[in-house]
Amino acid sequence: MLVGGISASTQLFSHLWQTVLPTYLVNTLWLGLLVVLLALFFGVISAAIITQTNVFFKQQLRWLLLLPMAMPAYLVAYLYTDLFDYAGPVQRMLRSTFTWNSPADYWFFDIRTLPGASVMLALVLFPYIYMLSRGAFEQQDENLFRASRLLGLSAKKSFFKIALPLARPAIAVAASLVLMETLADFATVQYFAVNTLTTVIYDTWLGYGDIGAANALASILMLLILFAVLAEQRSRAGLRHQSNRPNLNKELIQLSLSQQIMASLFCWSLVVSGFLLPLALLINMALEYSDVEQLTGLLSIGINSLKMSVIAATIAVFIALILGLYQRLHSDKYAKIPQQISGFGYAIPGTVLAMAMLSTLGPLDHWLNDSAEFLGFTPPGLLLSGTIFAVVFALVVRFSAIANGTIISGIKQIPHSLDYAPATLGAKLNRSLIKVHLPLLKPAIVMAWLLVFVEAMKELPAVLILRPFNFETLSSKIYQLISDEMLEQGALGAILIVLFGLLPIVMLNKSEKKI
Amino acid sequence: MTSLVTSTQDDTSILLTIEKLSIKLQDKVILSSLDLRLNEGDILGLVGASGCGKTTLLNTIAGFVKVNEGTITLDGRILNSKLANNKDEINLPAEQRQVGMIFQDYALFPHLTVKENIAFGIAKLSKAKQTQQIDQLLHILKLTDYRDSYIHQLSGGQQQRVAIARALAPKPKLLLLDEPFSNIDARLRNELMVEIRLLLKEFKTTAIFVTHNKDEVFTFADKMAVMSQGQLLQFDQPSIVCQQPNSYQVADFLQLGSWLPCAVTTSLNTILATSLLGEFELASESAAAQQALTYLLVKPSQLILTTDLAENIIANAQVEYISMTEQGYHYHLQSLDTLPTDPPTQASHLAFTKLSLYSDNILNLKQKVRLDIKQENLLFFNKSMA
Amino acid sequence: MLKKIFYSTFLSLFLVSSFNVSAAEEVNVYSYRQPFLVEPLFTKFTEQTGVKVNVVFAKNGMAERLEREGKYSPADILLTTDISRLVELRDKDLVQVVNSEVLNAAIPKQYHAQDNTWFALTTRVRNIYSAKRLGEIDINYEDLADPKYKDRICTRSGKHPYNVALVSAMISEHGEEYTLDWLKKFKANLARKPQGSDRGQVQAIHQNLCDISLGNSYYFGNMLKDEKQKVWADAVYINFPNQKNRGAHINISGVAMAKYAPNSKNAQMLMEFLVSKPAQQLYAETNMEYPVRADVEASELVASWGEFKADDLPLEAIAENRKTALKLIDQAQFDL
Repeated sequence: MLVGGISASTQLFSHLWQTVLPTYLVNTLWLGLLVVLLALFFGVISAAIITQTNVFFKQQLRWLLLLPMAMPAYLVAYLYTDLFDYAGPVQRMLRSTFTWNSPADYWFFDIRTLPGASVMLALVLFPYIYMLSRGAFEQQDENLFRASRLLGLSAKKSFFKIALPLARPAIAVAASLVLMETLADFATVQYFAVNTLTTVIYDTWLGYGDIGAANALASILMLLILFAVLAEQRSRAGLRHQSNRPNLNKELIQLSLSQQIMASLFCWSLVVSGFLLPLALLINMALEYSDVEQLTGLLSIGINSLKMSVIAATIAVFIALILGLYQRLHSDKYAKIPQQISGFGYAIPGTVLAMAMLSTLGPLDHWLNDSAEFLGFTPPGLLLSGTIFAVVFALVVRFSAIANGTIISGIKQIPHSLDYAPATLGAKLNRSLIKVHLPLLKPAIVMAWLLVFVEAMKELPAVLILRPFNFETLSSKIYQLISDEMLEQGALGAILIVLFGLLPIVMLNKSEKKI
Repeated sequence: MTSLVTSTQDDTSILLTIEKLSIKLQDKVILSSLDLRLNEGDILGLVGASGCGKTTLLNTIAGFVKVNEGTITLDGRILNSKLANNKDEINLPAEQRQVGMIFQDYALFPHLTVKENIAFGIAKLSKAKQTQQIDQLLHILKLTDYRDSYIHQLSGGQQQRVAIARALAPKPKLLLLDEPFSNIDARLRNELMVEIRLLLKEFKTTAIFVTHNKDEVFTFADKMAVMSQGQLLQFDQPSIVCQQPNSYQVADFLQLGSWLPCAVTTSLNTILATSLLGEFELASESAAAQQALTYLLVKPSQLILTTDLAENIIANAQVEYISMTEQGYHYHLQSLDTLPTDPPTQASHLAFTKLSLYSDNILNLKQKVRLDIKQENLLFFNKSMA
Repeated sequence: MLKKIFYSTFLSLFLVSSFNVSAAEEVNVYSYRQPFLVEPLFTKFTEQTGVKVNVVFAKNGMAERLEREGKYSPADILLTTDISRLVELRDKDLVQVVNSEVLNAAIPKQYHAQDNTWFALTTRVRNIYSAKRLGEIDINYEDLADPKYKDRICTRSGKHPYNVALVSAMISEHGEEYTLDWLKKFKANLARKPQGSDRGQVQAIHQNLCDISLGNSYYFGNMLKDEKQKVWADAVYINFPNQKNRGAHINISGVAMAKYAPNSKNAQMLMEFLVSKPAQQLYAETNMEYPVRADVEASELVASWGEFKADDLPLEAIAENRKTALKLIDQAQFDL
């Protein structure tokens, strides 16, 4: 039986390998490459413009450029397809302006392609790169630039010879985040009919019904992601340069008027196309199509989303706090391991994670029920895999890396002397943790909570597969409407997701202003 | 006001000229109408309390700070020129000034090797030229073995030498050093200062260095400038500044001695300064004579201590504080007659609390002693600038 | 203040979080069918019987989920579209036999399993839509491979169950070799890579990106009802293929009872309700499908498309060829 299963799997595998798999693999690699390159292009340049030059609207653009993070990629993909389709307003206008009649009369780019999908993903993922490289640029020691200037390099040249190389580790971290997000994406590529490894995993699992082959494929995907993670960790190890003298007042590159306009336009076009335009389209849809009935329906779904995300965020932050403080107080080299392992979850695409959840929680449930029966109780049913527990568990696994990262960097900012100071004042360890560390960590805790909360609101594949009875979330609802070309009905829900996504960005901005 | 320009030696030419330099940062006056001239080849030590504007002055010369008014000229080239109420402004970018700088934390590029750091400023030269210069510098600074090391692999002293090599490589007309020795181990510091001074002299480099430690100036500099509140108080050779401080602030900052309050009185055409330790005659034209209260700078060497009290040798001070130094015991002495009260009465404003005395004699706490002052080279200062 | 609000919302959310407490009378449904379609039916059912209906909607993975849940699965009723999915459920031993006279009487013989493991509720045709600008045409599925339609055909993913079923039927009719060749030529005729939904293809015809598309019958009716999509539907004719030979390819939506259904009595009640006349009428009206009951009329709009000849290929034959069909689709690199 077992052998039969394996050989069936190998057969299917070789069939896939001979037919579609190479193309899917190449697609996956191209998609990853294109998204990362585009996101780097958008993110690093905008970060450079904001930190290094006297661009117009600098103060506004500084935070506006973060907003596209709040947009789920599949939403943007749908909205842009609608906009640039043959029947969309853009092509309609072109046709009426130039009196063209059919697609044969003119060339227009097709958005539902691999490059199209790459642009969509890059538009909403570039803020990761923008945020981290902006941080890196701003943290660089002012004196390094002064030294460079005095050694004869202009501000512009200094940027390329000093700022950019020094920011490389931070940029690499951000790029690997983007890569992971891209490889985990499911809805956008599906909507654009760009077949990637995620598609083929879905196909083999649900089409061919072959979990073995699906697992093998998932392992390939995980391997790709592992490379990204390792690359990221390596570059993070090299991340040493940080200054206690952030160069916020340093001399800016003075752009000429035309350069200023160009730079400003570049940033604004990112903000507009990554956030403002999609939001406007959504609002327009909502105004046109919404009615009260929809609103009440969305409300109950929205409460589901909230419930799920709140629980997941709280648990993830709680775990992150325990791991982080444990690591801080136990300096042996093994203390880091739990936190590193938990970091991998982020790299697992929701689909793969859901599969893993089902195959671990399922047997666990059976064992619970069997033992209950054996002991003479009524079997409690699928307590784990059949309830919101499974969804929350998956979300926590997937996003605890975000919580960990945020909490750990918060902990790092607490001077080590504070670990010992309370003891010298006679306070016990747990009291000092509650009275000293937790209050100091408050901003990090709030931030971590919000980030996980928002990601959980947006997460799709895991929710789609694991949700229990009568449980619809905003994202799953919107995804279903999108696949029937009927987002209009869910525009309000989509706006809700986006608005929630704005919360951490507003927080981020506020906490920054305090400093 | 006395001229702050040093007695010019005609055989050397002036390299750096700063005239009427004023800087405001966020509406706070940092430098006000400052003048300075520095001869070619001189090393100037700039001292002053923190916040006096000395680092801002360095940064202005380097081109990092916007000038509100004034001109800076280096070797005949105008670096900055800005007149009040005049829009025309020259502000040469930092990279064109031919000014080098060594930062307090060295600001070495962490992503480049020692060699690449040094080569950074001479990238325009041919590769062969670069290599030759770098090799020479590495040799002089004993860094040859670390040519391909990264900065974090070097010790603090080595890092400083790399910073010096990097700054010297482009052959700057003027080298600025921002508290270059503050991060160095006290034991190494003196040695290093001597070494670097020799090096700068070898390269005939004109340099300005900033410190808050006057001892560094005595070891390292040819000239000394004392700054306070955005102005130069005194500019001269270090020995002259020490012997002839031109104001209360200069003497006080350099801790040249203790202060003894004196009341100024006129009797029989002589102007007398009366202190609790005796009376001194004042020249009628001296600034001190114009005040009701003046201060005598008492250098430790001017104090005469008498411990054997007798009928005619009445105690006038007592020991308040004792510490050990390499020059013997250091005592703080306090006047006996009256303790300072608040508000000061006619007698109490002459009281002193911390007259410094170095002596090999062993005194006890609260021991009463007799102090006298050698009546030679007495320096009186008024507390207010005016 | 903010803290308090945060804690209290969190607590209250946690307390009410849904660990399903079993109500007295209920039935649990796993549904591939969409909420807008089945919810009115369930509401009516609950009104009539007082039995509460719990639903989980899914797009994929029902069989996998049932397999893992095993005997503790809460599922009673499985609602799906596509015959292959129903047969897959049976082949994986996830459903049970329901011997109900009501069901057997209401559903024609060819539309339920011989062993009474699955029952069709509605039928639908895999139509070929054509642009009105082509004029009225007579078309067979085989014609999709005709080079005269080069770059003029649009379809959703070849791997969508509806297309897989059509390919299975082609295999039954013509054999593997012919079907692979047909798929390759069909692929060569595509105006664009397979993508989107059946509705999206009609939209593409409206946009003049193509002239011909594959689509299920009910989508046409539903598009005509939608204010945005009506313009798309207005641009096409709905054609019933192969009318001069074997007839149009038929697929079904159906129902089965889960093997370990904890509420089997209620489940059977629901199944019987779904084939009742009012329920069948609701199916016909809300989703423009053909009711499985012979004595319930299709909606007026659907009826207006006219009578048609249906392929009498046994439904189970379609299911048998499913995996072969999938492989051929991959081999033809249909979706690439």
